[in-house]
Amino acid sequence: MKGTWAAGILAAAVLLTGCGGGLPRAREMGEMALMRTMGVDGNGEGTLAVTVSTGKRAVGTQGGTAAPLILQAESLSLSGACREIQGLSSYHVFYGYVDQILLGESMALQGVEPVLEYLSRDVELGLGAQIWLVRDGSAQSAIESGGESGVEEQLSILRKSRELGVGGLTRTAEEVFQDILEQGGTYLPALHCVPSEQEGEASLLEWGYGVLREDRLVGYLEGDGARGLELLAGQGNGDLLEVELSDGLAVVEIGQTTTQFIPVYQQRELKEIHLVCQVNGALTEFPSPMEGEEVNRLRELLDQQETQKIQRALDQLRSWRVDCVGIGHQLSMAAPEGWRWIEEDWERLFVNVPITVTVQATINRTYDDLG
Amino acid sequence: MALFQSGSAGGSPHPRKVPKFPQPLSRENLAWVFEGCADYMEREVRVCGEQNQRVTVCYLLGMTRNERLNDYVLRPLAQDDGLSGAQGDELLRRLEYGALYNMAAARRTELDQVVDDLIMGSCAIFLEGVEDVLTLPVVTEEKRSVGEPENEPALKGVRESFVESIRTNTSMIRRHLKAPDLKIQEEIVGRQSRTQVDVLYLDGIADPELVARVRKRLEEIDIDGVEAAGNLEEYLTDHLNTPFPTMPYTQRPDRFCQALLEGRVCILADGLPMGWMLPGTIDQFFKTGQDRAFHWMTASALNAIRWFCVLVTLLLPGLYIAVVTFHPEAIPLKLALSIVAAKQEVPFSTIFEVLIMLVAFEVLQEAGLRLPSPIGATVSILGGLVVGNAAVEAHIVSPAVLIAVAIAGVAGYTMPSQDFAGALRLWRFLLAILSSAAGLFGLTAGCAALIYHLAKLETFGVPYLAPFTTGAGHVKGHPNVVRPPLPWMKWRDGANHTENRRNQR
Repeated sequence: MKGTWAAGILAAAVLLTGCGGGLPRAREMGEMALMRTMGVDGNGEGTLAVTVSTGKRAVGTQGGTAAPLILQAESLSLSGACREIQGLSSYHVFYGYVDQILLGESMALQGVEPVLEYLSRDVELGLGAQIWLVRDGSAQSAIESGGESGVEEQLSILRKSRELGVGGLTRTAEEVFQDILEQGGTYLPALHCVPSEQEGEASLLEWGYGVLREDRLVGYLEGDGARGLELLAGQGNGDLLEVELSDGLAVVEIGQTTTQFIPVYQQRELKEIHLVCQVNGALTEFPSPMEGEEVNRLRELLDQQETQKIQRALDQLRSWRVDCVGIGHQLSMAAPEGWRWIEEDWERLFVNVPITVTVQATINRTYDDLG
Repeated sequence: MALFQSGSAGGSPHPRKVPKFPQPLSRENLAWVFEGCADYMEREVRVCGEQNQRVTVCYLLGMTRNERLNDYVLRPLAQDDGLSGAQGDELLRRLEYGALYNMAAARRTELDQVVDDLIMGSCAIFLEGVEDVLTLPVVTEEKRSVGEPENEPALKGVRESFVESIRTNTSMIRRHLKAPDLKIQEEIVGRQSRTQVDVLYLDGIADPELVARVRKRLEEIDIDGVEAAGNLEEYLTDHLNTPFPTMPYTQRPDRFCQALLEGRVCILADGLPMGWMLPGTIDQFFKTGQDRAFHWMTASALNAIRWFCVLVTLLLPGLYIAVVTFHPEAIPLKLALSIVAAKQEVPFSTIFEVLIMLVAFEVLQEAGLRLPSPIGATVSILGGLVVGNAAVEAHIVSPAVLIAVAIAGVAGYTMPSQDFAGALRLWRFLLAILSSAAGLFGLTAGCAALIYHLAKLETFGVPYLAPFTTGAGHVKGHPNVVRPPLPWMKWRDGANHTENRRNQR
C-alpha cells in the first residue's frame, strides 16, 4: 500500500516537473559542433542573417586544432535560420555553449527584442551570454574577422579584462532584456573591427556604447561620454587620470566608484535630483613625494574631469530621452513613496528635471610616498 | 511478501530423526556408528595391569591431542594404584572424580551424546559391565596462529585477527573485555557440520530482546553445514532481496569488542575467522578499526571522504552518461571541447562505452582476485594500463570514459566493507542503465528508488538507515558522517535499544 502511494506521489511529481512531454533525447557529443558565438544581422527587408562560429576546434587527443567552423543562414525568423544552419554541416549544431552574441548595427536599428525573446525561449541558448553591438558593421563580418583563430578568444579576453577591473562594461543578454522591459532602454558595449596585420583578419576593439531606446539603437556614447555612462552606472573603475604637474606627470588610477541619486521632492513634485559620485583613486605614478596642497589640487582636477564626463553622458542620454542606466529605478529605491507620485511622468521629468552632479574624489596614498 | 524473504522457503520440513542413534549405548554400537571411519580408534587398557579390570578408550585420531590422551588418560589408567581393585560403577566414579587428570569429565548415558563428544575431540571410556560412559575432552589445539588482519590492516592499533578456532577467538575477546558481564552463549548449527556458533553480548548493556531474537534465529537454522559466511548471514538476515549487507563483520577483536561496548550483539562461528556485529545499520559499513585510533579531525575527514566516495562510485558513470549524452550544456566548455575532440574518432556510443568499460573493470578485478597474487598483479597491470592505454590510443574508448570508470572503481575501494562495495557496484550498473534511458531524470529516479529501497530495509528490528532517521522512534546517537572527539561521545546509539545508554562519565 505504501509502495502504491509512493509511486502515485512520484508520478505526480514527474508530471509537475513538466517531464510529461517525454524523456530527453540522447545525442552523441562526437557528432556535435559546439557553437560559441552567434551573430545576428538584419538586412532591412524583414529577413535575418544568423552567423554562428565554433571558435578554434580541438581535434583528436594529441592537442591538434582546426579552424573555426562558421555557418551562416538567412531566414525570416531566427528559428528558421537556426534550423537552416542545422543542415549546413555534417555536425549536429549545438547552441548550448553560445556565450557571445554579436548584434550587427542593422539589427540594432531594426530592433533587438525579437533576438532577446528568442534567446529567452530557446532551451539551449538562454540569456546568460555576453552581448555586443558591432559598430559600423555586421555581426557576420565581425565573426569572420577572427580568421583561423576565431573571435571567441578576443571576446573572452574583453570580458575577462572587465572582470579584472580594466576595459569597458560588459552586458549579458539577460541584463539587456531586463533593462528594455523595465526601463525602456539600455546600452550595449560596442565593438569595432580594425584590420590587423595578418591578411584577412581583424581585431575587435571596444568602441564606446550603443544606446537603445526601447529596443532600437539611437546613438553611441564614446570617449568621455562612454566614461560618464560607466560612472552613472556606478562602475567607473579602471580609468586613468593623467595630470601634468610642474615637475612631471602624475597618474591616478580610478578604483571603486559608487553613484547615488537622491531625489528632492516638494509638494509631491520632483524638483531636483542630486547625483553624488564617490570616486576612489590611487596614485600610481608621480614625479616626487607630493605635499598636501598638490594632492588637493589633483583631487580637484579629478573632481572636475569626472563631473564633466558624467554631465556629458547625462546630457546625451536626456537628448535621446533614454534612462538606460536606471536612474528612475534608483529614485524609486531611494524614496518609494515619492516614486509613486512621479512614475507616470518619469520620461518627461528625466529630460527636464535639474540634476546636480557632485563628485567626491579621494586619492589614496600608496606606500606613504605622499608627503 | 518479497521475492526472496528470509524464512520463506516452503515445502515440508527437512526430515530429522531425533535421537539420531536410538540404539543402546555400547562400545559395539559406537563402533557401528563410526564404521568405515579410518580415524576412529579403540584402545583397550588393563587398569593397573589387572586381568579382570579392562576399559576401552575410544577416540577420533586427529581430533584429540596425543600427549594429553597418553599422559593424562592412558597412563593413570595403566599405572595409578588407586584404581586397583575398583570394579564397575565404583571404578567409573573414581575416574570421573579425579583419577584422570583432565579439566572436565562427563558421564554419558546416550549414544548420541558420546558420538557428539567424540566429534568435538573427546575420548570415551567404556567399562566392562557398566552402561554409562565417561567422556573426557582432550581436544587438539592445532590451529592457525593469530596473525595480522589482512583485510583490515592497522596502522595504529592491535595487530591480531580472529582465527578459525572459536575458543581462541573467544579468549581474545575475553582478554580485551575482562568484564564478567560478557556473556557467551552457544548454539550448534548444522546437522552435519555441528558448528559451534557463539552469541556474545554484554549483560546490562545489550538489548535482551535482541539477544533473544538472535538466539531464536540461530536455533531456527536447520542446514547441513556452516562452511561459509553466507551459511549464517543469509539465514539470519531479514532481507534477501537486497544486495546491501545487513550483517557487518570484522576480523579485528578490538573492533568486535567496540561493537560489544556499543551494545551490539555479536556472533562468532567455529571455522570462520570473523565475527558479526548486530544490528547492522548502514553506518557500520563505513567504520574501520582505525576510526577511534586517529585524531578525531582526521578520522572525521576520512569518514566524510568515504561517504563522498560512495556518491562518486555510485553516480559517476551514470552522471557521465547523463551529462555527455543528454545534457552536454552542463559540462564546462573546455572539458566539453576535449570530450568532443576525443569522441569524434570513437566508433561506439557513450552509453555503450561506459557500460562495456564497467564490465571490463569488473572482469579485470575478478581475474585479479582469482589468480595467485603475483599473476594477479600482472593481470591488473596488463589490463589496467596496457589494454586501457591501447584502447584509448586505438580510439576504441575515449579517455574521459576511461577516467570516469576508473575513478568510480577506485572510489569504491575506499569502502571498508567489501560486501557494501559489491552492492554499490551492482547499483552503479543499474543507475548507469537508467541514465542511458532518461539522462539526469533517470539517474534521479534511480537515486530515489535506491533511497526508497534502503529505507525499507531493517536489520533485527532496527531500520537500516537508523543513523539518519528518527522516524522509527529511536533516539539518535552521535553523528555518523563525522567522528566527534571521544570525550564528547557519551551516549550509545539509540537505535540499539541498549539498557544503559551512557558509556562514560
